[in-house]
Amino acid sequence: MKTSPDQGAPVLELDGLTVKLGKRTILDHLEASFSGRAIGLLGPNGAGKTTLLRTLLGFYPPTAGGARVFGRELSVAAKEIRAEIGYMPESDAFIANITAVHFVRLMAELSGLPSEAALERAHEALFYVGLGEARYRRVGTFSTGMKQMVKLAQALVHGPRLLMLDEPTNGLDPPARKRMIDLVCDIRNRGTSRIILSSHLLGDVEMVCDEVLILKNGAIADSCDLAADRQANKHFVEVDLETPNAEFDRAVAALGCEIASLEPGKLKLVMPAEVSTRELWIAAEKTGVGIRRLDLKRDSLQDIFMRAMEGN
Amino acid sequence: MAVYERIWRRYDGNLLPLKWRAAVVTKYALAEAFSSRIFAAFYVLCLLPTAIGVFLVYLSHNVGLLQKVGLTTEFMGGLTAVFFQFLFLWQALPAFFVAVIVSPSLIAADLSNNALSLYLSRPITRRDYVLGKMAVLAILLSPITWMGGLLIFLLQAYLEGNNWGIENWRIGMAYLVGHVAWIVVISLLTLAISAWVRFKPAARGALFGIIFILAGFAEAINAVTRTSAGDLIHLTRAIANVVLSIFGGPTEGDLPIAFNWFTLIATCALSIWMLHRKLRAHEVVE
Repeated sequence: MKTSPDQGAPVLELDGLTVKLGKRTILDHLEASFSGRAIGLLGPNGAGKTTLLRTLLGFYPPTAGGARVFGRELSVAAKEIRAEIGYMPESDAFIANITAVHFVRLMAELSGLPSEAALERAHEALFYVGLGEARYRRVGTFSTGMKQMVKLAQALVHGPRLLMLDEPTNGLDPPARKRMIDLVCDIRNRGTSRIILSSHLLGDVEMVCDEVLILKNGAIADSCDLAADRQANKHFVEVDLETPNAEFDRAVAALGCEIASLEPGKLKLVMPAEVSTRELWIAAEKTGVGIRRLDLKRDSLQDIFMRAMEGN
Repeated sequence: MAVYERIWRRYDGNLLPLKWRAAVVTKYALAEAFSSRIFAAFYVLCLLPTAIGVFLVYLSHNVGLLQKVGLTTEFMGGLTAVFFQFLFLWQALPAFFVAVIVSPSLIAADLSNNALSLYLSRPITRRDYVLGKMAVLAILLSPITWMGGLLIFLLQAYLEGNNWGIENWRIGMAYLVGHVAWIVVISLLTLAISAWVRFKPAARGALFGIIFILAGFAEAINAVTRTSAGDLIHLTRAIANVVLSIFGGPTEGDLPIAFNWFTLIATCALSIWMLHRKLRAHEVVE
């Protein structure tokens, strides 16, 4: 059984993981392996996403099978695994009667940072999530959006190797949601922390994640590599024209694009690798046609998710 | 890096060893307790019995001072047994009040907003968490109880000389064992109650209820059955009898001393079970 840390090991390996609470099977024989920068857990409510995260944190013991995080066996090295994780739970989780900086500092020290470093990092984390001006306010007085941000701050204050985010955009208004997603993307892009994002919002997962695990009734309904998918389909384009224009069709075909007409004025194009969308705009200008919409179109996560939900 | 630069980076510095993480829980809980000036003042008052005890022992060995206050050198000799037992009571009682004041804030604040999941998602276990919180009470109660008691005992042994300390070892042992047992019992009990009753005043009421109302109930059982069976749920009598037995004096009631130990151990076991049931990162509905 492998317990030692391995820099080259997959982020997460599920090895027949089964979890039962009482007589109910919550996770049923999950088998998967993920190595991406950001892994999405998708599924409807009750699919087992949160239970999977809690099991990885050691809150629930596996009934059968096991899991490895960065090559460490969950059943043997739960403490060591938790030392490398930053966890942002779905529900409210804070200590109401202390200030944000005190709260985040406490969490940093619990993660092992010396007192002074913990204080410095607490300030940094709160500024990073946009709570710099509110860091001396008691957490209990924060709005829902601020509480979400302070949860993120406590999760990342110790610079974890793996960040587990459970429904991070819950209860956020659109600007706050965008800010949260931008922060998560920024962390992902820095490449020093891997992310597991659990959400039932396809848009969030699609924006953040490279790999996706779709759960349904505690079992794996599907899993896909979005990064590879994006790479494979990056030249698949949908174009809406103001008016149908045969000259534009010919110009585009001359560029080497394959064309399928969906309806008058709506085209689906497969562009050769060397052709960019800029050349489509130039062709439109030359032929005097207006482009109303131009979408890089691929088999969307929604399509994949709906197929997974419809399948058995 | 300036903290306002809004850049996130990994932490590459030294980390506290895993086995010391529970000490962080203790450190923050202690700071929280002493953030109240009223509590700090009350805590100083709780040290008063020990200070008085030290003064009386010193006084009893200072002939000049005794004569000035109109007492004889027999003052301490006549008080020895009663004095130490009386002092034990006046150390144990404030310790209980300190535990009642502090305990409800220790766990209830973490449970009421699900902060426990944040603690337990870090490399500390439920056992570490409870031990960390118990250490707060041990640190607060030790100076009031056994440390103060042993200080008085050692001072008396030093000033008295002539093997007084060896001949009266039971007094020192009673202070040590009795107070440590009392600290363990009330720490576990108060933490367990605060885990189940999150509203602080209600938790404090429940603690008083368990100690004093249960004692009254035990007396009623004794009176009705004309036995000492009620003593099995009489916590204060159990600890008193344990201490009296170590002092070598007569105990109250007819139950053998082993039954008093059983009462204390059963209280601890019940408290641990209550903590085990309640202290979870998440509620599990089975």
